[in-house]
Amino acid sequence: MLKKEILLLPLIIFLFILITFFYLLKIERNPSEIPSNLINKNVPIFEAESLLKKDTFISSQEFGREIIIVNFFATWCKPCRDEHKFIKRFSSKNKIRVIGINYKDNSKKTVQWLKKLGNPYSNIPLDKNGSIAIEWGVYGIPETFIVNSNSMIKYRHVGPINKNVYNKIIKMIKNMK
Amino acid sequence: MKNKFFLLIIIFFLTLYVNNDLYSVEPDEILQNTKQEERARIISKNIRCMVCQNQSIDESNSPLAKDLRVLIRNKILDEKNDREIYQFLTDRYGDFILLKPPIKSNTLLLWFLPVIFFLLGIYVVFFHDNKFKKLK
Repeated sequence: MLKKEILLLPLIIFLFILITFFYLLKIERNPSEIPSNLINKNVPIFEAESLLKKDTFISSQEFGREIIIVNFFATWCKPCRDEHKFIKRFSSKNKIRVIGINYKDNSKKTVQWLKKLGNPYSNIPLDKNGSIAIEWGVYGIPETFIVNSNSMIKYRHVGPINKNVYNKIIKMIKNMK
Repeated sequence: MKNKFFLLIIIFFLTLYVNNDLYSVEPDEILQNTKQEERARIISKNIRCMVCQNQSIDESNSPLAKDLRVLIRNKILDEKNDREIYQFLTDRYGDFILLKPPIKSNTLLLWFLPVIFFLLGIYVVFFHDNKFKKLK
């Protein structure tokens, strides 16, 4: 009796694997999206030149008072242009402070880009060599983070923000308040 | 004719095998000190390119891979040890950045399931064999 049961085991395991794969196919998820290791950790400490302000951008002075959205963007990045209207909605409609980290870009082009599309950012630190992005664990721009009023990273989205993600972020921020 | 063709195919695959040590390190990245450069290469081979995901940063020509290669070399020049460099990277990108996952409570299945399956296989084969002998 025991022997027969053991011979059935491979079949049971195979069925289990099959069901698992089907389940993973069915549920809505993006396998290429990697969870951020910085969730529930403090924002990285960094200083950078600011695009629009004379003063240097010092992270410890910017975070910790209110909920802030941090958006990594570049003018050469097409998806950044696509999500720009949602980024604008964060600051104009919802009065959320948005900091835009300008990733490996040409400052003149960025100024023109923002003039044309509108500037939703309260401050724009320049990440000229990509080192700030590495501090934030960024691997593909655009990437967007929610930082709470205790300087803690609560959420990261990789890729352009669409309507669904926009609604999700607004809901999360409402719950955080 | 058939044999020659077969030989050509074998040679073709052999050359692929010989040339598989392709890497993307650019001349300006290479460190002067060969020992330090060797260390950088070994670390880079263990670090996943987050953009291409199935390559190491040593093989990938994506801009982020280059940034990370330069960062590793700078850390070596700053006299950071290997553990500190791996720690720096996993703190920011998680264990996913390591091509070889570390043995932890949540990776135990990943590491030991193959062994369990192997033992199970032997067990099943052994039983089957016994049964077969008995039938004889």
